[in-house]
Amino acid sequence: MKVFYSSPWVPVEWIEAHGLQPCGVWFAEDLGCGALSLSAGVCAFSEAMLRFAETHHDSAVIFTTACDQMRRTFDTFAGSQPAHAFLFNLPATWQSPVALRIFRTEIERLGRFLQAHGGHAPTAKNLAQIIERRSQARKRLLELATRCSARQSAEAMARFHWDGSVSVPDHPTPPAAGSIPLAIVGGPLTASQWSLLQTIEAAGARIVLNATESGERSLLPAFRLENVSDDPIGAVARGYFENCVDVFQRPNTRLYSWLGERLTARGVRGLVLWVHTGCDLWRAEVQTLRETFRLPVLLLEADAVPGGSPREANRIQAFVETFK
Amino acid sequence: MNIAPRKLSLAEWDDRYDQLTRAGLKEPGYGGPLRRHVAKERDLRLQHLRFDNSAAALRLWNFLLTENERLHQARARGDKIVGTMKDLGTVPIMAYSLPGVRAFYPDGAWWTPCLMECSDRLLQQAEALGIDASFCPVRAMLPAFQNGEHFPRPDLLICSTGAVCDDFSAIAQRLETLGHSILWWEIPRRRQPDPQEASCALPGNLFAPQVQVDWVREELQRVAQSLGELAGQPLDDQTLADGIQKANEVRRLLQALRTTVYSAPGAPLPALEMLVAEMLAIHFCSDRAETVAVLGELLAEAEKRVQQKQFVIGADAVRIFWVNPVADLRAMNLLEDWGGRICGADYMFTHALDLIPENLPPLEALARTALADPMVGSTTERAARIVRECRGFHAEAVVVSRIPGASHCAREGAIIREAVQKTLNLPTIELEIPPVCDAMLPTLGSRVQALIETARARRKS
Repeated sequence: MKVFYSSPWVPVEWIEAHGLQPCGVWFAEDLGCGALSLSAGVCAFSEAMLRFAETHHDSAVIFTTACDQMRRTFDTFAGSQPAHAFLFNLPATWQSPVALRIFRTEIERLGRFLQAHGGHAPTAKNLAQIIERRSQARKRLLELATRCSARQSAEAMARFHWDGSVSVPDHPTPPAAGSIPLAIVGGPLTASQWSLLQTIEAAGARIVLNATESGERSLLPAFRLENVSDDPIGAVARGYFENCVDVFQRPNTRLYSWLGERLTARGVRGLVLWVHTGCDLWRAEVQTLRETFRLPVLLLEADAVPGGSPREANRIQAFVETFK
Repeated sequence: MNIAPRKLSLAEWDDRYDQLTRAGLKEPGYGGPLRRHVAKERDLRLQHLRFDNSAAALRLWNFLLTENERLHQARARGDKIVGTMKDLGTVPIMAYSLPGVRAFYPDGAWWTPCLMECSDRLLQQAEALGIDASFCPVRAMLPAFQNGEHFPRPDLLICSTGAVCDDFSAIAQRLETLGHSILWWEIPRRRQPDPQEASCALPGNLFAPQVQVDWVREELQRVAQSLGELAGQPLDDQTLADGIQKANEVRRLLQALRTTVYSAPGAPLPALEMLVAEMLAIHFCSDRAETVAVLGELLAEAEKRVQQKQFVIGADAVRIFWVNPVADLRAMNLLEDWGGRICGADYMFTHALDLIPENLPPLEALARTALADPMVGSTTERAARIVRECRGFHAEAVVVSRIPGASHCAREGAIIREAVQKTLNLPTIELEIPPVCDAMLPTLGSRVQALIETARARRKS
């Protein structure tokens, strides 16, 4: 059975070790298709997630508590199909022992949910193998990102979240020499929105860091595996908890440290902040990003038109032009 | 002299104040005529509000409107000031248990643009700090912290995070980035215990897994440690138990006041004064002892009026249950002008109204209370309590009031309205109240009046 998830901090190794197929929704072709009739303030991604969950009756769906919008989207969905939905409590804090215990307990609870949906009890050996395989895959994806276009890389990362595979593009297209190095930072960038990356590159820039939700931020470094046979849940919990880098964390300094290292190392000259309308968490970072990194920031709101509108293209072109 | 209860404009209150003074009115140190707040604090909105004419209401308003001044005085006397954010009712109980410590909610600055009719330009300043109009008006606290012209800068800032509104979390994070260090503590999203899981009863007829209560208790222990260090005295169990007892005294008074006012045939006190009175529960308006005195007077006034069958709003008014606080206080006046009255409310802090268990270790009791916050659990559970209270107070209609930009409002209204309609078959509407709602009066008026007419029509049928 497929288990759809909407946050990269849901431990997919744990799902797979239960004999089920974790599928990150960012790759789904039917996510967010068609006009969404949004009531005021509803985040389009959360609405798309709700519609998606409603149409996949034969699968389980994992929401997380990362944001208020998703928590309440879960409330809406669980009102009609409670048996298929799981709300994973991602702690916002990360500096106290309680936060790690919350994470660990959620993994245990997720295990019970998965077993109630046809999964089997995981073995430590199998889990260790899955962790190792996925670590290797993430490493390959990071390498791949330097050799192909931003869209190809985004697609490869989303495919990995979808089925665990690493698919190397037939014709990797490295970014044009002399183009402006930019980073894209922000929330979910779904399949229907990847053409945004082409628009940016067509304007004369290259994305040297994709820090959207399913981008490089989601590629966890290799876990510590020394205790996996004694404490498999602990190994998964620590692997995710120690490497989670997201805007909902309090304080959010981990996100800024993570970004800072990469922006400097890759010579980034400007940031594109990708925000879904109604997403307060990312939107509130515009000014802090500018002040912290002293880089120009272009705020782009996820548009109703998949893949970018002429207005959006125009703004991107103007932004890139300022660096020339 | 027995004066019939009614609502007065600010100008009418000038005369009423003289009358009360001549009759020998005794006021606390923060007392005085209401009009002075317009001149002194530029609380211009008062000129457009209508107030209950009792001495008890005068004391309530003066208490509310002098909070910043009283906080500055406390600082000058050497008290430690704690800014506690978002949890709405829990951390202040801990702070007030310690001598020489006062806690307040900087969140309360969200009413400053309303009170000052935006003349302070806090919302524009928030925008300049990166928090624009897509966020809830609580963004006003950001420049209020920066300019120091409202509340004093706290000695310690504490903020709950986790299952909280995104707006608030994002604004608080921005605040920390601007240099105001914050002690963050985790409040997990409350869930139903699984069948084999140890379960724990919470105030408000709720349940949570024991493990969640344990987490919150540990987090509150961290908070207690910091408060103790600030106070120079540990916050031990006995000290905290005493603080809980005193908080419960406030909660008992509020429960009695709510029951008296909301269950009376007419309204013995207006909706606006009741909103302010309920708000006192969360941090005692920076003075716990005075809160007891203020609520005691209000309760006595309400009981007297009920006994004498004297009401500010007559029995014909449609009984409305109100969900969420309003960014513009005037909205509560307007509801009554349009033919309604409040017979119950969920202003997002019902957990601050329920009694805290006194038969448990104090931190355990507070952890259970914090987890009973309607905003950290599912909206369905919040809706269930609303339904229960609508039934108990014989509501005839429900208004879900949206807070502009607030992330929780995007979906909760639909869930609450559906629960109310399905269970009670009551008419409901959802409307949005901005910090100054004057420009929207025609729209708001027609929507609320339509609701009231619908409720009245159902009486006949």
